[in-house]
Amino acid sequence: MRKLVFLGILVAALALTACGGVSNGAAPAEATPVAVRVGWLGFPDTLNPAYAFLTESYSMFDFVYSTLTTEGPTGEYIGLLAETWSASADGLTWTYKLRPNIKWHNGETLTAEQVAWNINAFIQNPDGWVTNSGYVIGFVSARAVDATTLEILTEFPISNMDYRASFLYIVYPPDFEKFATPEELQNFTNFSPIGTGPFKLATLDKDQRIIILETNPDYFSGHAKVDQVIYQTFDNSDALVQAIKVGDIDMTTEIPDSAFAAVSAFENVIAVSLPGRSITELIINSAPADHDPAPTRNPALKDPQVRLAIATAINKQDLVDVVLQGNGVTGVSIVPPTLGGGFWFNQNIKDVAFNLEEANRILEAAGYTKEADGVRSKEGVRLEMRLQYPSDQSSYPRAADMMANWLAEVGIKATPESVDPDSLVVATNPNADYDLVIWGWGSDPDPDFMLSVMTGEQYVEGGWSDSGYSNPDYDANYLKQQQVIDPAERQKIVWEMQEMVFTDRPYIILWYGNILQAYRSDRFTGFVQSPLGIDSFQSLMNVEPIK
Amino acid sequence: MRDSWLLFKRSLSDFWKTFRRNRMGLIGATLVISAVFVALFAPLLTPYAPALVIRDEAGRGLTYAPPTVHAPLGTDDAGHDVWSQLVYGARVSLMVGFLAGFIAMFVGSFFGILAGYFGGWVDTLLMRITDVLLVIPDLPLMLVLVATLRQMDLKISPLTVLILVIGLLYWTSTARLVRSQVLSIKERQFVARARAIGAGHVHIIRKHIIPQIMPLIVANTVLILSTAILIESGLAFLGLGDPTQPSWGTMLNFAFDRNAISNGAWWFYLPPGLAIVWVSLGCVLLGNVLEEMLNPRLNGHHLEGEAKIVEMRANHG
Repeated sequence: MRKLVFLGILVAALALTACGGVSNGAAPAEATPVAVRVGWLGFPDTLNPAYAFLTESYSMFDFVYSTLTTEGPTGEYIGLLAETWSASADGLTWTYKLRPNIKWHNGETLTAEQVAWNINAFIQNPDGWVTNSGYVIGFVSARAVDATTLEILTEFPISNMDYRASFLYIVYPPDFEKFATPEELQNFTNFSPIGTGPFKLATLDKDQRIIILETNPDYFSGHAKVDQVIYQTFDNSDALVQAIKVGDIDMTTEIPDSAFAAVSAFENVIAVSLPGRSITELIINSAPADHDPAPTRNPALKDPQVRLAIATAINKQDLVDVVLQGNGVTGVSIVPPTLGGGFWFNQNIKDVAFNLEEANRILEAAGYTKEADGVRSKEGVRLEMRLQYPSDQSSYPRAADMMANWLAEVGIKATPESVDPDSLVVATNPNADYDLVIWGWGSDPDPDFMLSVMTGEQYVEGGWSDSGYSNPDYDANYLKQQQVIDPAERQKIVWEMQEMVFTDRPYIILWYGNILQAYRSDRFTGFVQSPLGIDSFQSLMNVEPIK
Repeated sequence: MRDSWLLFKRSLSDFWKTFRRNRMGLIGATLVISAVFVALFAPLLTPYAPALVIRDEAGRGLTYAPPTVHAPLGTDDAGHDVWSQLVYGARVSLMVGFLAGFIAMFVGSFFGILAGYFGGWVDTLLMRITDVLLVIPDLPLMLVLVATLRQMDLKISPLTVLILVIGLLYWTSTARLVRSQVLSIKERQFVARARAIGAGHVHIIRKHIIPQIMPLIVANTVLILSTAILIESGLAFLGLGDPTQPSWGTMLNFAFDRNAISNGAWWFYLPPGLAIVWVSLGCVLLGNVLEEMLNPRLNGHHLEGEAKIVEMRANHG
């Protein structure tokens, strides 16, 4: 319904041919605390790390909470709560030496006991700590050796321990001990969290959609040079763009692709386009025929030649140029090229070239002949399919429109359709009721997550798989790469898995989009540009006002 | 047969004589007819196919290019010529508007006549259905219906869904209007006489009722056209149009989603907006004038009769 409201604004814009900026509650300029005002389009629905799915929630976790390790701006892992850490020779015992004098926001001192409580809770209550449980697979238990030493025991050697530890936000146990059932734990919104992070959450106003963070002066590793960071939510991207233009906000965490060129041209605004970790793909329904409920799809999608023809008929470069307005690169593998500085990305995969004649030839050779209306068919199966996309993404309708036009030229009739994201989740998994879907992922810094999405065991209700891809060799490789400590050996397996997905095509990777952000260069300096974005906590701790 | 044709011709020429003196009506008709003309001759009026991407020397799509000689209204976010899209969009917008409007007229008139003529339980049943549809807000209901029907994988095109939903939901006001008119007509003496000499229901409705309410239906249809076009634009703006067959609403949807305003690309969002205003304004002007002319009751107050006679005398004398 949000758009309905903006019909009015649009009409006003039509009449005036100018659209004034809509700003809500900008801080007065003469206020004494130095505040960085951040504009964004979302708002966290919860600050409970047990059950958080929005990236906005994770942005806040990074400010308020700390983890044992964290990803640095250059991609390697650095200690945060942990000063040093090491694994035993058999790889089954990890010992973390915590920094001394880490204080909770309420002044109490953090103990290794409390960290162990957290990790044991994640291990023992996977139904409650849903979002954390994936990161503790293979963990047996954690215990405090002394006040600043933590020991984690694992079932098998874990290849990506540092990455996993960087997602285990250590919460204040008294806030979380009181819940008897998983549901109670998940319903807790935790809107006044106590953490050990560089910022304290001072105000969270759900109605005004404003979050005020205050610098934590007792932070264990220096402290921010500004007093406050104020997040304010905008209802629409044009209003957000206008706000950075006139200086109502000092930075924005997101700019739509289609507005990036406009923002780059603003005076005193620096727009940054950073290679990120997101992928956008075309999902092809690959659910096994014996899946329950039985898949509802065009049966021709099972034919590898049809998949190849679809891949050949998509002009990825055009999608990048038009949909992303050049802010990204064409996609090929499920592992984006930025992970581990490119270490995990299989550079040997050679993508199929866009060629409409070739796509026509492939379908002709496979026995699909054109009918009177230009749509191909074989043995009564017409190449007609749905091309769906989630309605909350502003770039997908254009992408769908372009793809439908290319596919029409090779005799495939794809009907674009915008679908509510929640319905689309159910349609893809578990219902398997779809043909083609455009959707995207934000990858973790480690390839493990993206690889897990394609495993057969994730194709259950609530699992991450949406393609229904199921390949026993792939699944065996997935388990193997989790337990191989030697990075070179793990790389080999990870590359092989990418090759499998590329060849079988449950996904056709369309593009890797950049992170698009902007800040006012006349207000603040010191933003750190990295794949983490200029809104990472490391960046905001480094920001200082221009005198 | 010949008699009735002559009668028709004469009433048509009478109608035209009155109509052409009405400036508002003429403006309305010009707006509507010009839009229909543009839609019919779209291929002759456009330099490019609407889905063609205009490219620079390097082969990249020219996105948000301002108006030039080659693209009179510039290009959109995907490098399509806006003018060509606008002209082809007229086809979709008008087709959905007209078809949905006609469906609404037929359903509304049918229900209105049945309810008004037969009365009793038929009236109660049909009017309660009408009441239910009247109290539910149109746009949200249509949004939900279109979205749901699309999901159901019925083998019909998105545009057909749109036409059916608008047409089958927007007949209520017509039904009410027609019913009230029928209620009054069926009590008149000529209807009673026809019944007395043994005329059946079908005959009475066809020969006596329908000719009497036809003017009302015609005027109402033109008004409904404008609403249907507006609703189609609204639904398409909310993303429920068919992106492969863009209407004016779909163009606005893309302009909004793809930040045409931030890009200062007025040539992308202004023309479809003005086109919608153009057609709906035309329909409203035309509809009001037709209603005034065809419905003698709206012609003036009975006390104005004297003044008219004086005026006529003056004209003749």
